[in-house]
Amino acid sequence: MFQAGLPYLILTTGLIVLMVGVSIHRSHQVAWSLTVLTLIATFISHFFVYEAVATDIVVITELFRVDSIAYFFNAVFLLATLVLVLFAQVFLDRRTKFTEEFYVLILAATLGAMMLPASTHFASLILGLEVISISLYALIAYPDHARPPLEAGLKYLVLSGVGTATLLMGMAFIYAASGNLDFSSIHITDGSMEGEILFLIGNTLFWCGIAFKLSLVPFHIWTPDVYHGAPSVVTAFLATVSKGAVFAVVLRYVIEADILSSDTISNAIMLIACASMVIGNLLALLQNNLKRLLAYSSIAHMGYLLIVVFLISVNTSLGYESALFYLVSYFVMTLAAFGVIIALSSKSETEVDTLNGISGLLWTKPAAGAVLIAAALSLAGIPLTVGFFAKYYLFTAGISEGMWPLVVCLVLGSGLGIFYYVRIIFRTLEKPQEELSVSVPWLGLSITVLLALAIIVFGLYPTPLVDLIRAILVFPPTL
Amino acid sequence: MFYIAAAIAVSSSILAVTRKNASHALLYLVLTLLALATIFFLLGAPFAAALEIVIYAGAIVVLFLFVVMMLNLGRASVARESQWLRPGMWVLPAIMSGVLFGVFGLSFLGTENAAQIEGVMVPPKQVGESLFTTYLLGVELAGVLLLGALVGAYHLGRRYLDERREE
Repeated sequence: MFQAGLPYLILTTGLIVLMVGVSIHRSHQVAWSLTVLTLIATFISHFFVYEAVATDIVVITELFRVDSIAYFFNAVFLLATLVLVLFAQVFLDRRTKFTEEFYVLILAATLGAMMLPASTHFASLILGLEVISISLYALIAYPDHARPPLEAGLKYLVLSGVGTATLLMGMAFIYAASGNLDFSSIHITDGSMEGEILFLIGNTLFWCGIAFKLSLVPFHIWTPDVYHGAPSVVTAFLATVSKGAVFAVVLRYVIEADILSSDTISNAIMLIACASMVIGNLLALLQNNLKRLLAYSSIAHMGYLLIVVFLISVNTSLGYESALFYLVSYFVMTLAAFGVIIALSSKSETEVDTLNGISGLLWTKPAAGAVLIAAALSLAGIPLTVGFFAKYYLFTAGISEGMWPLVVCLVLGSGLGIFYYVRIIFRTLEKPQEELSVSVPWLGLSITVLLALAIIVFGLYPTPLVDLIRAILVFPPTL
Repeated sequence: MFYIAAAIAVSSSILAVTRKNASHALLYLVLTLLALATIFFLLGAPFAAALEIVIYAGAIVVLFLFVVMMLNLGRASVARESQWLRPGMWVLPAIMSGVLFGVFGLSFLGTENAAQIEGVMVPPKQVGESLFTTYLLGVELAGVLLLGALVGAYHLGRRYLDERREE
């Protein structure tokens, strides 16, 4: 039973070994290699113990239940973290004298992210979430002697703290209504009017907190500022792993607690989803900063992803299939877009993140420019990219289940989105005014090229990815 | 009795947020925590009440007070300190905590006629048992949480130490 917990143990061991190692001897190279090694070992260990979860749900105390879907999420998070850690080595040297703690913190955050998809209990939800958030506070403010990261860190600290407090308050109300903290039994109230009202209040607060963490409209105000101020490696982590983990636990909560059976809650979530899709894209239209633009675009993408929440409560396996596919493609294209920013900023003190900074990129740095164009096309959902299939999944699912408000907003949002993604592409294609003086590290560049290849290959031929996801869902664990 | 304690908790937490002086705010914070502990006690969780007082009101807030007072070292702080000790400031907290003490005492004496809130007694042994069985992984995850917080605080704090050393 406990062998299913092996990946978590390996990651924790790596974390502790790294911390002790850093306290004995400080070396950026050693810390970096140890982190890469830990991430790869954890990733590989999933294959060895996959047997345990392939045919059965593994319950590890009341708090965690490991299944093949949780393993899939873990693998995606680990690969994303690995990509970012590979970027981080050159990136950090220019920004701080003390680089080693960065790796301790990012491993801790990854552990938190791996715990969330396996959570079945409010206690493990809040602990996993806080492990991610607390590590992120320090990661966002990581660079020495720079004001924007510190400002972003403080903003995130205060707003994420409020979000967590709201979440906890919601859990307290839900507990008051049902007397239970594990997802599967919280919807059992005594049927009285009082219990129903408490349950609704609790869920309202709970979803407000979740919306804070996923930066959904109207709780999105922090997103552009934090994305802009944080060092790009951390921004990418925030946009991918942290949000993906919260989303994974939300899916499980929705299924097990059968939340959408209440009309009030499902209407509220629908409103949030529609608002995120439209407003996120509208606000992105006139941004001149690439990181702020990607922040608004991530708000919109989280709105699209919320469609899955509705889908999953009527058709669990199709819902999970589209959720996993969308999440993988969102990870790949977001990492490719941020990868270009990170690669360009690696050798300079400041971040190259304005639209002017990428003007004529295709001519000065052909590889980086091409990757950025591929990422922008994919984020916009143009055919022949992986982003197209991800949107196509949501679109067909929305139509087949007759979720018209969501489908209309999806189309409207995507239409608006094309405008600013095309703006990125045009700026990249411009005739360069001046020679871009920054040099790009080869490792970072080759990773972004790989990511861009993944965008196009899965865009042309998504069958392997779909087959993999279907194979994971063969034994439907949470049905 | 619950309502008295709750009223004190709410009003003192509002006062804690609105005070301009950090030490005064902390004084009200202690009061809030004491009121919360009383509520826990009334709910039938004396263990949680004791923890609330020992850990929050006792250890953490005292730590806060130390930090606040250490940050204000210097000549200007002497004048400020005399202002802190102005008699008016501690009267309200004193009255409120007096009322709280009364509530606490009453809950010992006359539990029969007072409106009791339904609740189950949770003895310390049960808390310990569940922490080391059901919630064992949670406790370990909380350890990682604290580790992350510690490493982060260390890193962020060090930059100011370095700057000060360079000056």
